[in-house]
Amino acid sequence: MSQPEAAPKPAPAKPAPAKYPDPVYNTQNGRLLMRDTRYWPTDLWKNPWALPSYRKAAVLLAALLLGAAAIATGVGELSRWGDLLKQTLDGFLDGKGFPTLVGAGVWTLIKVLIVLHIVIISPIFLVWWERKISAHIQTRLGPMNVGGWHGWAQTIADGIKLLLKEDVTPTVADRWVHRLAPVVVTAPAILAFAPVTFGQDLSAADIDVGALYIFAVAGISVIGIVMAGWASGNKYSLLGGLRSAAQLVSYELPRSFSIVPVLMFAGSLNLTRIVQAQAGYWGGIVPRWFIFYPVVGQLAFTIFLIASVAETNRIPFDIPEAESELVGGFHTEYSGMKFSLFFLAEYAYVLLASFLAATFFLGGGAPPLPVLGFIPSWAWFLTKALAVVFCFLWFRWTFPRFRVDRLMDFNWKFLLPWSFANIAFAGLYLLW
Amino acid sequence: MAELAFYCLAAVTLLSALGVVLFRNALHSALSLGLCLAGVAGVFASLSADFLFASQILIYVGGVAVLILFVVLLSGRASELRMRQVNGQWLAALLVCAVLLQGMLRTIAAYRDVVAGQGGAPTTQNLARLLLGDQALPFELISLILLAALAGAVIFSKPDPAPEETKHGCLL
Repeated sequence: MSQPEAAPKPAPAKPAPAKYPDPVYNTQNGRLLMRDTRYWPTDLWKNPWALPSYRKAAVLLAALLLGAAAIATGVGELSRWGDLLKQTLDGFLDGKGFPTLVGAGVWTLIKVLIVLHIVIISPIFLVWWERKISAHIQTRLGPMNVGGWHGWAQTIADGIKLLLKEDVTPTVADRWVHRLAPVVVTAPAILAFAPVTFGQDLSAADIDVGALYIFAVAGISVIGIVMAGWASGNKYSLLGGLRSAAQLVSYELPRSFSIVPVLMFAGSLNLTRIVQAQAGYWGGIVPRWFIFYPVVGQLAFTIFLIASVAETNRIPFDIPEAESELVGGFHTEYSGMKFSLFFLAEYAYVLLASFLAATFFLGGGAPPLPVLGFIPSWAWFLTKALAVVFCFLWFRWTFPRFRVDRLMDFNWKFLLPWSFANIAFAGLYLLW
Repeated sequence: MAELAFYCLAAVTLLSALGVVLFRNALHSALSLGLCLAGVAGVFASLSADFLFASQILIYVGGVAVLILFVVLLSGRASELRMRQVNGQWLAALLVCAVLLQGMLRTIAAYRDVVAGQGGAPTTQNLARLLLGDQALPFELISLILLAALAGAVIFSKPDPAPEETKHGCLL
């Protein structure tokens, strides 16, 4: 039986090209509700440049970057301004007849205050940036209202909210340990910034054992986390504290060992010397940063980055906090400013890890190309550090959380052996 | 200035060492031990032994104190952590302490006139020369002994093959 000949199907009609929807206005007061945000990256991925606001944003971003570079070039090396300030200060104090000890004290105080404010103020930006990045990864907008432009003042408002919140101490808590824990977590985070070299001749304390000092002081924070976990008198907090002690002590090992090749190449623990050892270019193009040393550099950088993410208790290594299983881990019972101190310490450590990655592996304040040397070193340093911070935020919003035992296996059976092997590779490199 | 720092840090060390013994709560004692070890590190720093200072904090405060805290946390509920301060062995303990104190006093007497360098040159390079040069053999021997101790600890603490259901159990 023959099939009746089907009528030739008309070719499937092409879907009409996506028209951008008309703006939506509130009928009551005529305010603009939605411009063109109903088509978001998933719809427009094929050609995001078709969206006028995308082009506008790209131009704005380029202008911002160029403007920042121009301002940085105009300001020049910060160490020059520092020397000028010191001379002015010394001249003023000499004129008043103060002993030299006063001048030294005031100068130290100024340096301490600058470093302190780097640690305290940077989270205001980092939290906002994190919320924006997380929002855009999840195709949301994030904070948009507070402050007008893309919600830039959201974190400041949050900070004021945290300041005004009631400070609750549970009745079963060990009061003094509960009270001290945030301090013990935060103080080392601030102390650890002392030897960081922010650019050419820019470090608050240029100490000879700088790298060792940073790792040592940063390790004290674990005690504060354990104190917080125990003193809350809460089983979830206790579990969080225990997990945190186990995790941080474990990941500290590959983190420290991953930079041993860097120390071997540089021949010093001093951060300034480590940066100096990376000066220059191979063939005039490829910078002599330690990350570009074949195999050894990349392996060390990867281990350092992974272990740093784990050290800061961030996803995918946030087992100590794990809000879906431990309610919030060691900081469950903290509110108000005490909670925000834990938060501050976390962001301070993210920033510290990025500064360290920039110092150890990305050449500190050295420009990536000799031609770009006119932009001062602190601007390059900041750019590199912020690029690493972006990686931290990116990881947090793209990876799922590790399971506890896998977390430990990953550290002891993968990261640690490879960091040892890497030291051996570095030895071969030096001998050869 | 450095002397003032030295005496303050020494006071912190001694007071927190007393706290380790006198606190009734085991966790408070452990925290006090952490402070004591940090105080020792500070004493090193005030005597311008920079490398010793950093490694003391790295190993003792960041490592040993945390491990002790970990043990205290695992050892039971908060109410069970309170222990008696004195038991029947106090006389023997006192005697041991007296002997140790005498030994230390004699050691100190031998170095009474040695003055530590103030704000001196960094020590790391000299330490490295000594450890990897003149003293390389003792250094390696100590490393070997530590490695043997490590392997021994692992072998002794290895549990008997556990039944299936507890094998994958995970406390943390």
